[in-house]
Amino acid sequence: MAEINVENLKVVYRGVILALQGVSMRAATGEAIALLGPNGAGKSTLVRAMSGLLPQYDGRVLDGKIVINGQEANHLPALKVASLGLTAILEGRPIFRYLTVTENLRAAAHKLSSQRQKELTDEIFTRFPRLYERRFEQGGYLSGGEQQMLLLGMALLTEPKILVVDEPSLGLSPKLTEEVMRVLNELRRDKGLTLVLVEQNARAAFSIVERVYVMEQGRVVFEGTAQEAQADADVMEFYLGGAVAGGFSEAKRYRRRKRWV
Amino acid sequence: MDFALVVQTILNGLANGALYAVIAAGFVLVYRATSVVNFAIAEFMLIGAYLTYTMSLFFPLLVALLLALPLAFAFGVLVERGFVRPLLGRNVVAVIMATIGLAATLDGTALILWGPDQKAMGAADISQLPKEMPNLAFSMGGVFLSSKAVWSLILALPLAILLVTLLKYSRYGVLLRAVSESETAALAMGINAPRVVAVAWGISAMMAAIGGAFLAGAAGGGGPGHHLVLLGLIVFPVAILGGFDSVPGAVVAGLLIGLVEAFSQLYLESLLPGITQAIPFLIVLLVLLFRPYGLFGQHRIERV
Repeated sequence: MAEINVENLKVVYRGVILALQGVSMRAATGEAIALLGPNGAGKSTLVRAMSGLLPQYDGRVLDGKIVINGQEANHLPALKVASLGLTAILEGRPIFRYLTVTENLRAAAHKLSSQRQKELTDEIFTRFPRLYERRFEQGGYLSGGEQQMLLLGMALLTEPKILVVDEPSLGLSPKLTEEVMRVLNELRRDKGLTLVLVEQNARAAFSIVERVYVMEQGRVVFEGTAQEAQADADVMEFYLGGAVAGGFSEAKRYRRRKRWV
Repeated sequence: MDFALVVQTILNGLANGALYAVIAAGFVLVYRATSVVNFAIAEFMLIGAYLTYTMSLFFPLLVALLLALPLAFAFGVLVERGFVRPLLGRNVVAVIMATIGLAATLDGTALILWGPDQKAMGAADISQLPKEMPNLAFSMGGVFLSSKAVWSLILALPLAILLVTLLKYSRYGVLLRAVSESETAALAMGINAPRVVAVAWGISAMMAAIGGAFLAGAAGGGGPGHHLVLLGLIVFPVAILGGFDSVPGAVVAGLLIGLVEAFSQLYLESLLPGITQAIPFLIVLLVLLFRPYGLFGQHRIERV
């Protein structure tokens, strides 16, 4: 079993900033879902809440429920959540920049036996030959795409059942984004992962997920299959080229008109 | 120039420098793990020295030192859990003030527990004969080394090198370096960051205990005393010279400062009395003018 259920989740930062205002979502075992939405919609907050990392950001769950593999995880610390099989790749490509590629992988594999660590590291180097070529270089000197591959490799070494990835396409060229999505899809298929993909690049996300949640200002404003999302005029206009002519004031009027909450 | 005297000075400098290296390496380890400048490091030495003294009342000195190490480790973990962890992420000035407060508290506690009179290792009173460690003093070809210097070279120097090696190659070392970069990213990968950090504090307290126990003997009276706190200030120039965030840097800088002090004592002290105490700080000022990151400080990685 590798499923995650979020019910009516409310999250507050510093006791006053309500970042999630009753979010519900679920991802069944082996399913891939996407969380879409603009900056400030609450996507990353949801990732932090799911992975037990809210206290690191001075946030806490105010109300609602997070259930991971049948176990309530609202207030579980990050380590307990990780032991339930959920691994989160946070936004901003948080590799260990001063550690070499090999050391980064070794840090992520800390719970594995030497034998298992070697098997998985070999697999990662086969999947990502570029990482093998640069295995003795510090992570901070890798390109954005290579860092993303390294993070995926590190996540694999934690042997996750549920993988949550926050904005993997951020700052990558369309070609690299396509490559990252392909790899994510492969990993998900080969390892039977449940995938929660947080993206602003809807087109990229649609290519690998079955269902989509669109978030806006701390709420879910659309829920449906990837096909339904692509057939929805508002979703498509909002994410795939709802070009607005007429400058900033016109754009603001357009956004007000299109606000879904 | 008397060759034997130079060799003797080098060995004595390395022996003292090894103690500085051990203490500073522990100090830097904690800074790397938590970004906390532990202004109570001298008191860590003091507590370590007193723990060794207490053990030495019941056991031979070498055994006492080995028994004091796990106690010092537990003390370090306790300080981290009870005092440092709740402060992490707070304002830097608040953390600095808190560690200074910790230093004063530990000073007072040591005074209450062990009293104001000077102690001799292995003896309830300084007038009694202390139970010495096996005497390893030797004299060869005009080079004389005290037993304490030999013990320091045997124990402290390999320990400092061992710490550097473990930090570079062991699984724990990799985890510590990972946690020191980002505790949040480490937690996201399921790394038990709080435990890694607590162990760093424990190791730091252990290293300080070794340095404290040896330097207490050197500083007068043959036992721990509050002068050790002043001696502990040497950690700061050593750490700064090494780069402040580099454990290998702290070890090299410790040895360097030990050597410089020894040669200053030999050649300059008669000309400029008191210069030996000032010279580590002068070196730091000079080095920082030309190398702001110290000798081995980590340069920031910035992608452009």
